[in-house]
This record gives sequence, structure tokens and C-alpha cells, in this order.
Amino acid sequence: MKQILSLTVNNDTYEVAVSPWRTLLDVLRDDLGLMGTKRGCGSGTCGVCTVIIDGRAILSCLTLALECAGKSITTIEGISSPESLHPIQKSFIENGAVQCGFCTPGIVMTSKALLDEKPQPNDDEIKEALAGTFCRCTGHIKIMEAVKKASKQ
Amino acid sequence: MAKKAGHYTVVGTRQPRLDGALKASGRAEFTDDVVLPGMLRGKIVRSPIPSGKILNIDTSKAERLPGVRAVITYKDTNGLMSGSDKFLLCENMVHFFGDEVAAVAAVDEDTALEAAELIAVDYEPLPPLLSMEEAMAAQAPALHDFMTDNIADEVTMSFGDPDQAFAESDYIREDEFSVQPTHSAFSEHHIVLADFSLPDRLTVWTPIQSSAIIKSSMASNLGLTDSSVRIVNLHTGGAFCGRGGDKPHHYIAALLSRKAGRPVKIMCTADEEFLVYRGGGKYKFKLRTGVKKDGTLMVMDADLVHDCGAYMETQFILLRFVGSNMQALYKMNASRYLGKLIYTNNPPYFFHHGAGLVAMRFAIDSQLNLIAGELGIDPVDFRFKNAVEKGYITPAKFTYASCGLKECITKAARKAGWKKKYGKLPAYRGIGIGCGMLRSGGKGMYDHDNSSVFIKLEEAGKAALFTGLPDMGQGSHTTMAIIAAETLGIRIEDIKVVAGDTDVTPYDVGAISQRGTFTTGNATINAALDAKRQLAKTAAEKFGVKPAVIIFQDRKVYPKGSPEKAVSFEDIVYATLHSDEGRYVMGRGFYNPPSGQSDMSKYEANTALAYSFGAQIAEVEVDPETGMVKLLRMTVAHDVGRAINVLGVEGQLDGQVFSGMGQTLFEECVMEGGQVLNPSLLDYKLPRPFEVPEIERIIVETSDPYGPFGAKEVGQGPIQCTSQAIANAVSNAIGVPIKELPITPERVLKAIREKAG
Amino acid sequence: MRLPRFEYVRPQALEEALSVLAQSGSRAKILAGGTDLLVNMKQRTVCPEVLVSIKTLSELLMVSSDAQGFTAIGSGANLTDLAANAGIAEKFPAFIQAVRAIASKHIRNMACIGGNVCLDTRCWYYNQSKLWRDARERCHRTGGSVCHAIKGAARCHAINSSDTAPVLVALDAKISVMKKGENRLIPARQFYCDDGIRNTILEPSAIVTAIHLPDGNGAGRSAFIKLSMRRGIDFALCSIAARANINGAGVTDVRLVLGSIASMPIVLEKAAQVIMEAGLTQSAIEKAGEVARTELGIITNLFTSAGYKRQLAGVLVKQALNELKGKTAKRGGAKA
Repeated sequence: MKQILSLTVNNDTYEVAVSPWRTLLDVLRDDLGLMGTKRGCGSGTCGVCTVIIDGRAILSCLTLALECAGKSITTIEGISSPESLHPIQKSFIENGAVQCGFCTPGIVMTSKALLDEKPQPNDDEIKEALAGTFCRCTGHIKIMEAVKKASKQ
Repeated sequence: MAKKAGHYTVVGTRQPRLDGALKASGRAEFTDDVVLPGMLRGKIVRSPIPSGKILNIDTSKAERLPGVRAVITYKDTNGLMSGSDKFLLCENMVHFFGDEVAAVAAVDEDTALEAAELIAVDYEPLPPLLSMEEAMAAQAPALHDFMTDNIADEVTMSFGDPDQAFAESDYIREDEFSVQPTHSAFSEHHIVLADFSLPDRLTVWTPIQSSAIIKSSMASNLGLTDSSVRIVNLHTGGAFCGRGGDKPHHYIAALLSRKAGRPVKIMCTADEEFLVYRGGGKYKFKLRTGVKKDGTLMVMDADLVHDCGAYMETQFILLRFVGSNMQALYKMNASRYLGKLIYTNNPPYFFHHGAGLVAMRFAIDSQLNLIAGELGIDPVDFRFKNAVEKGYITPAKFTYASCGLKECITKAARKAGWKKKYGKLPAYRGIGIGCGMLRSGGKGMYDHDNSSVFIKLEEAGKAALFTGLPDMGQGSHTTMAIIAAETLGIRIEDIKVVAGDTDVTPYDVGAISQRGTFTTGNATINAALDAKRQLAKTAAEKFGVKPAVIIFQDRKVYPKGSPEKAVSFEDIVYATLHSDEGRYVMGRGFYNPPSGQSDMSKYEANTALAYSFGAQIAEVEVDPETGMVKLLRMTVAHDVGRAINVLGVEGQLDGQVFSGMGQTLFEECVMEGGQVLNPSLLDYKLPRPFEVPEIERIIVETSDPYGPFGAKEVGQGPIQCTSQAIANAVSNAIGVPIKELPITPERVLKAIREKAG
Repeated sequence: MRLPRFEYVRPQALEEALSVLAQSGSRAKILAGGTDLLVNMKQRTVCPEVLVSIKTLSELLMVSSDAQGFTAIGSGANLTDLAANAGIAEKFPAFIQAVRAIASKHIRNMACIGGNVCLDTRCWYYNQSKLWRDARERCHRTGGSVCHAIKGAARCHAINSSDTAPVLVALDAKISVMKKGENRLIPARQFYCDDGIRNTILEPSAIVTAIHLPDGNGAGRSAFIKLSMRRGIDFALCSIAARANINGAGVTDVRLVLGSIASMPIVLEKAAQVIMEAGLTQSAIEKAGEVARTELGIITNLFTSAGYKRQLAGVLVKQALNELKGKTAKRGGAKA
């Protein structure tokens, strides 16, 4: 039984018919074409699918789409335009925090949620926020540097 | 073509990667982002037992399920092999838990999953061979019917006169080391999208390290001509040695697509990742080393048995790498090696981050530490004394045209404060050094190890660089842009890189054997030089001089010695394109390192022109009650020849230290009954941000005469040093040798206890 | 990984949720944060026909103090909110430490306290995809009669890895459980069962509505220590919650509760007795650590060997007692 759902993503409102068992990740990618949010482990351990809901970094792979009605969802597509990147994105690029890039959108969103909440996080707070993400390429080192530098702007 | 450092404008700077903005904003396209009209979803049915006979496969229920468009089993594969010893889909035997038995394609993923579960396979389980010991036992049945035993491959190598060298040694030490299975765990799962709707045209979208290998393999295995196969390699979410070439899922998607007449996408689930990539297998080393009293290394004798798993894949290469590289780091007169690859009913193993050599480096460098200890020589001095140098030729005939090993050792030791710390740290703190080397631009699987590059110039003075070299995150496309910009005398922002489509991009063996920077880098220089030659003709006509004296610098073109006559690069390009003949400017460059052939019967060969070297110093803290080890600090010195992109080099150093730390302290595929018991990122304990050590990076530049601008690899060299540095530090902290990886808390405690008696 | 099909209902009030659960019985599962349940569903270890979403029920979101000296925390309280709740942190520092040690910030942003309190057990022979699970002989949990974790065991020995469970037991918390027509307050120690399959007394039709922490016990000396391979996104190899009243007369009311090594939190009676008899002296602490190791019954080789778990238990007892004594514990590995 599909239900008609009104989803607010990046300030746009979409009407979609979804089955209860479909996750927010499925709907973002397959129905709305918002491919910036990546499909990772599917079980909440890699952070690749992170989006921001009501100010917090959450895992779209473990969120039922139906439970997102009436919430404000922000995906990687919603934080910047190609012509003017978000300061976190700029910091990631300038400081070498991007390598293969598959984990990057999720980590950028995680970092944005952190800096929105705590504009000047200390090292431990950065690690805590990023602990649920995973980057095999950079070893997280330049990612943490990039978040730190972005926080100082 | 190596110039003195400091004369470059782009090379040696810190360049953010060209695709950074795309990736940071989620606009970079990965394979899962490609959706084709009519696209189906595929699912693979895998063996639930490690060994057995297939009695019957009933696909009828799956075929009747609405939405199912194709079901394939062995019968549909025309006996197709995947590698030398594996049927793509099992015929009547399964050899590991996860072996591919059948596959389905359906209109969506849920239907494909349901259909896969409806395929009923009857098995008769056979007793599996789950350890190398079982498989090597005299009475063990041969796992494969074409074999008489389970020794999948065996190689002996002997260089110099090992017996004589042992006889001349004052001290001989023998130890055994083992390394447990590991996994690459890249974030983008294995995925393929294949369109084989028409019989003479196959297009495959997939993340891969070598489009060339998968293209030629798939063409020949499927009876197609090379030009009928197109590989589209979009952005690739990490590889770490794990995505070399074609794998079963690539063929399965193609065959499903052929049968259904529609494109088919297969994406592996998190647990399937541990069946498809298959990790690095178990290693057991027996190591015997002879030295003189003064610490002069004489000879090394190594026996390796390596768990190959159920199928060989490319492990035979690894087996040979170990033997030809073991005497390549420290000078010695002779060496002997016996390597055996053992078939078991474990998942087929593959390379893991570090070209399969990390285990060997761990074993050797750990034993050298023990020897240094017994001789009363400082481990740093011991390594320095025996370190290879520029001009050295190893027993296997590796020839070092540049070598910064001693510089790496000295600089790392100084930066880490070795003299102040070694032997002087408080209890349960330890410091250790590890060294490593790796060939750069090695001959891979082909004698013909070619990279080719096109550089097309456009009216605005901009260049498009076409390369078949995949960028899995290491930044090679940015590196190529820097090399092209430097050679053409323009800026990096004037270059765009076009890659990843074999219909468009020129041939390149790919990102394997650390050949990106070195081999494709040289091809890029050649392409840029070719483009310059075409422009120089125009400039020479304009200035009335010979083309050979035309200088390209800072987007200006002028005759040598007359910079005041300069015209802009853009104008020269424009003038060439708009010349009477309409001279289109397309630089073409290629490079095949004129190094030794990788002759599999004779192992003495200089299989690469350049080699990278490194030294790392680890400082650890051990909790003697829990056995937990914290890597506090890592000092990393690496001889990269020349850092083309300093930011990129740093990223490689960081990533490898972190990955190496994972392999050393955290990661292990726990095996039982042929199954990985921890097939998830939760239970396979990859380190995360809290585990990040402090890192000190030292880039050593020795300007290799063959490297582009003197550059050598930095893709897998640094990780060659990491495990043994950490292991030696732990050993230093607890006063007990470490002989097994990973160094889990439990193993540390056991070691401490055994010491206490 | 895909979710199986199910029917989704979202009751508007607690009473309605209880009615739905009463009707559906074991066909239904309660969905709150979903961070554990949905993973289990993706692995097909749980395939409920109905998911009853209780996330928005206001009755489960209240935090209040009652006249009996308890602080009640609604089971729907989000873990990130709780972790930042200074008032509760001041009253029950060990509890909040445990909350902060749960999984990752991402997970805490989504999960609620009720879910962690009721966290299902884990076993790496069971909590796998269907392909993995089906490869083995059926165990107690999959309808057979063997245990792969302890050969020959007569019951399931899956591990309860809840970070908050040992704290609730140590603090003598009570758990409020409701089902249609019934409201019970159950001491935490009786809430958990030593059975990997059914690790709480919660019936399928019942909901944990709140946890009640006794104000008097939080303020005493308490400690929580979690040892794991990683700090962040990891279950404990072993954890401990400890509490004691220290007054002029000596040390009374000592509680030492281990988490993550058995199917339920393990209360170490004998080790606690050592301290109650001898006080928090260094020799008593050492002895308590030794006693703890022997006091543990049969434990499994799940995730790490039984011998190592025993070692960690002894170490954690000592560290926790030292912390109660007022010393800072020695630096461990990935200690939360």
C-alpha cells in the first residue's frame, strides 16, 4: 500500500507515492533524482548517506521515508550552488580532504550539522561528530583539518 | 627531462584536486548514479556451503515470478571461465561460501531479491579444507579435479650463493611470522552496469583500476572484438589494490543483459563485499637471516605459504613479487625463497592495500629488529648500515637510479627524536622504525605496459587532456594536469581532464603497479611536447626562427633569448588552428618503460625504472592490562622522487599510514567454517577518527632520472613501512617480539603474559 | 540491503498504540529510532508484518521528577537530547556517560533511550544476512537446538550490548512497562533475562514507556567505563557500571554490573561483597578484580575470547572501583 507523502527537501516540496518499507535514501535517489546522497553500507555504520533533518545529521538508509513527512530535509544538493560552494566544501577542497569522493557528501553534511550547532568545535567534538563516518582514502586526517579550518572562518 | 627543483611553476605546488568541487557537492557521477531506460536489477545466487556438489538447480519458480526478465545458470554461460580455474557460474561443484551459482535480473531490486530466493539449489556438502595445513596434509583430497594436490602454485628463487653466505654469517636467526586475512573495505561497493542488448556491442560501467584489462579480458572471454567492448569508468570510490580487473559480477551482469535484452545493474550488499573483493589471504612466513657480527646483512631465506582461497585469481603475481622484492630494501649477497600458494575452501583472496608485500615487509623488518637487538645495535643504525643506495643493483637485478632510503631513515629518526626516545621511554611506551620500498611504474601483467595520452588544444589557449588512467581517489588526473600545464607553460586551470571512457580515451594499462604518475606521467609529457612541437611550427614561422628555439612559459611564447617578443599562448594556438592548412593541434604521447620484461621463468630483471623508498617511525602506548595499543605518533619520510602535487602526496601518506595502522592493529577477517564472521563495517574493525594518530610528514625528493620531473610513485610505497614500524614499537613497549598481525589487544596480552611466565 | 515489506501504522496516542499492539501480538514490532530494528529487518532476522511507529507519541517524551524521589525519562527521549541534558548529567553522571558512549553521533541523533534499554542481543552467527545465517546448522535462535557461540549450550548466548543496561541495573532503576490495561514498574535487574533470544521480560504487546532513576543513587559515587576496539561506532568488548555509598561508616551498597559480555547485565555480588567488607582499599580493589574474574559463569567466545572477556572484567572492576575511590582510572584503550 503506497502512501502519498509530501516531502520537503532543500526547501522544495515533492509529492511522492511510497511503500512503507522504502527508506528516505531510496526515495531521494530513485524518486527525486537527488543522487548526491550516496548508498553505502545500508546499516548505519559508514555515514555515506548522511542528510540533515531538522538540524541534525541523520542516516537516510535507516530512516523510513514515511517518517519524514513535515520535516525539513537538507541534502548535499541543498547547501550550495555550483557557483558558490559552502565554506565547508571550499575548505574540504582546498585542504585535500577529498580523495575518491564517495564518502565526501555524507561527511560534508555531517560537518555542516556540527558547525551549525557548534561553530567553534574542539578536536574531540570534531572526532565525535565524524566518528560515524568512514574515509579509507584520507585516513580522516585532512578531513578533520578541513573542518577545523572551516570553523575558523 | 628532470630539471632542478625550484625551476617549476606548477610542479611542486599544492593543488586542490580538479574534481574536488564536483565531489564535495555530490555532483560527481558514480556508477550507481547512472540510470538507463529499461534498466534491470541483477542479483547473484551464491553457494551457502564452502564445498560441495550441485545436485540440482531449479529456476522455474524464479522464472515465473512477475517482473523477472532473465535467469542464468551454468548452462547459459557456455562454459565461461572467470580466471584460470573458476567457472563463472558453478557447473557441478562449489568451492567456497559465496561461490556464484546462478543469477537473476528483474525490473527492480526487491523483485530480483525475491527471485534469487526462489531459485532452489540442492547441494551435497563435502568436507571443506579450511586451513592451509589441512589442505597440505598428505591425505587431503585435491580441491579442484584438474589438480592432484592443493598447491595452486609454487615458486623458488635463488639469488647469489645463499649456502655460502650463510656459511660466512656470524649469526643466524630463524623466526616465523603470520598475517591474518584482511579486507580493503572501500566505501563504494562493487557495482556494475552492463548493456549487452545487442550481441556485438557491450558497454560496461564500473569502478575499476584498469579499464584496459577489463576491456581486453571481457572481449576475449565473450568472443567479442576489442572494439566491441566499451568500458565507462566514472568516478571510483576507492580501490586499494582491490579493483584490478574483471570479476565475476562483471560477466554476470553482461550475460543477464544479453539474455534480457536490457541493461542490468548489480550492486553488491555490504556482506557480499566480503565475497566479491575477498580480501588479502593468510600469510605464514618462515624466515632465516644471516648477518655478520658488525651487523652487515648477508643473506635471507624465506618460506612463504599463502592461503589462496578456492581460486587463484592473480595471486600468482603476488607470490612472485614477494620473492623478487625481499632482498630489495637492504643490501645482501644472496637470498633464497620458496613460495607456495595453497588452495583452500576459503573465499578466493586477492591483493590488499600494499601490493601484497606488506606482510613480507612486516616479517623481514620485525626480524631485523630482533637481530639488531641481539647484536646490541640500534635499529636505526642497523637499517642505515644495510640500506640500499643510488646505483645499487639488487640480487634480483633491480637497479636504483635514484634512492633516498638513507635520507628517509635519517630524517625520520631526527624528526621523531629517536635518539632521545629509543630505550628511554617510560614503561609500556615504545618506539619503532620500519622501512619499505616499492617499484614505480612496474611492468604489470603485460610486457607491453603502455600509457598513452592525447592533448587537444582549444582556441582560448586551453587544453583537454585525454587519459585512460583511472583516478580512484589518488589524484592522478590532477597530477597529469599539473604535468601537462608545466610542460606547456600554462596554468592548471587551463587544463581539463577527460577520462574514463574507452571509446574516447587512449589506451592505458591503468592504475596498477604504481604506474600512474610514472608511466602515464611520462606519456603526458610526451603528449605535451608533441602539442608544443605543433605550436612551435606556427611560432617559428611568425618569429622567423627555428622551431627548436621556441620557449613556452607563463602562457607566453617567444624565441629563446627574446622574451620581449612574446605573444600569448592563446594567440599561437589560435593562429595554428586558423592557419591556412587548418592545423588542428592534438598532442599525442605514449610511454612504455624500457625496463626488463616480467619474465615469469627468470626472475632476474629490472622490472621498473624507478623505485620509491621510505622510513616510518611509530610511537605507541600499550595498556598492559587490556592489551590495547594506541598509535600516538607516526613520522613518515618518503622518497617520492619529486612531489608533483604536495597536497596529493600528503594525502597519500596520510591514507596509507591510516590504512597500515588498520591492517596492523585493528583489521582481521575472522574466519570460521569458510565464512567471514565479521562481514560488516561494524564488526570488521576499521579505525575511525578517534583512532587517528598525530602524523609528521617528510617528503624526500631525489629527482629520479626516469620519472616525470623526477617523480616516482607514492601510491603504495608508504604503506610498505607502516606495519613493521608499529609492530616494532609495540615490541619495544612490551619487551616481547611481535610475530603476528593484526596486533589485537588479546595477542598483546598473551605476549605480555608469556614474557612474565 | 533492502527492507522487507510491512504495514506501517502511526498511532496518535499511547492508548491507541497499545491497542494496536494488543491486536497484532507478535506480528508487530515497535518502531522508534529504528537504528537497530531496521538493520535487523534488512538482515531478515526480524520480519514483522506491522511496524507501530511511536516516535511522535508525546506521552513518551516527558522528563520529570516524581514525589517518590525518581527522575522519569520517557522512553522516546532522543539520545542526543539526553546526552546534552545538563540536569540529568548532574544527577546521574554514569548514566549520561553511557548514553554518550552509544554508537555514533549519527545514531544518537536518531535513536531513543527506550531502544537502547531494550536493545536486542547480538551474535555473529545470527546477526548476519540470510545467506550467512542459513549456511549454519539451525541454532536455538533460528529454530534449532545448538549454540554456535558455546558448543553444547542448552540456550542462546547472544550478547546484550546495551551501554545503558548495566547502568540502570547498577542504579536500581525501574522500568515502566505498559500494555493494554496494565502498567507495571519493574526493577531493571528483573527486566533483563539471561537468555539470548528473549533478553527482556517485555512481551510483544508491551511498550517500555519510561525509565525511572532513583535520585538518591545517582548522586552517590558512580562510574561507567566502556572498553571497545574503537572509540565511536562500536559495541563494548566489556563495560561496567558501578555505584557505592561512601560515608563515615565505610562503603555500603556497592554495585558492580558488567555489560556486553553475556545475554544480560551481570551483577557481581561477590566482588561487591569484598569491598563492602574491606572498604575501598587498594588490596580490596585488587582482590575484587580477581574475584570478579572467577565469579563470572560460562561466557562465550563471541566477538572476543572468553578468556579475554574475563580479563577485561577484572580490569574494569578495578578501574571502576578506583574511580569510585576518587582516583582517575588509568588510561585504557578506546575508553568512552
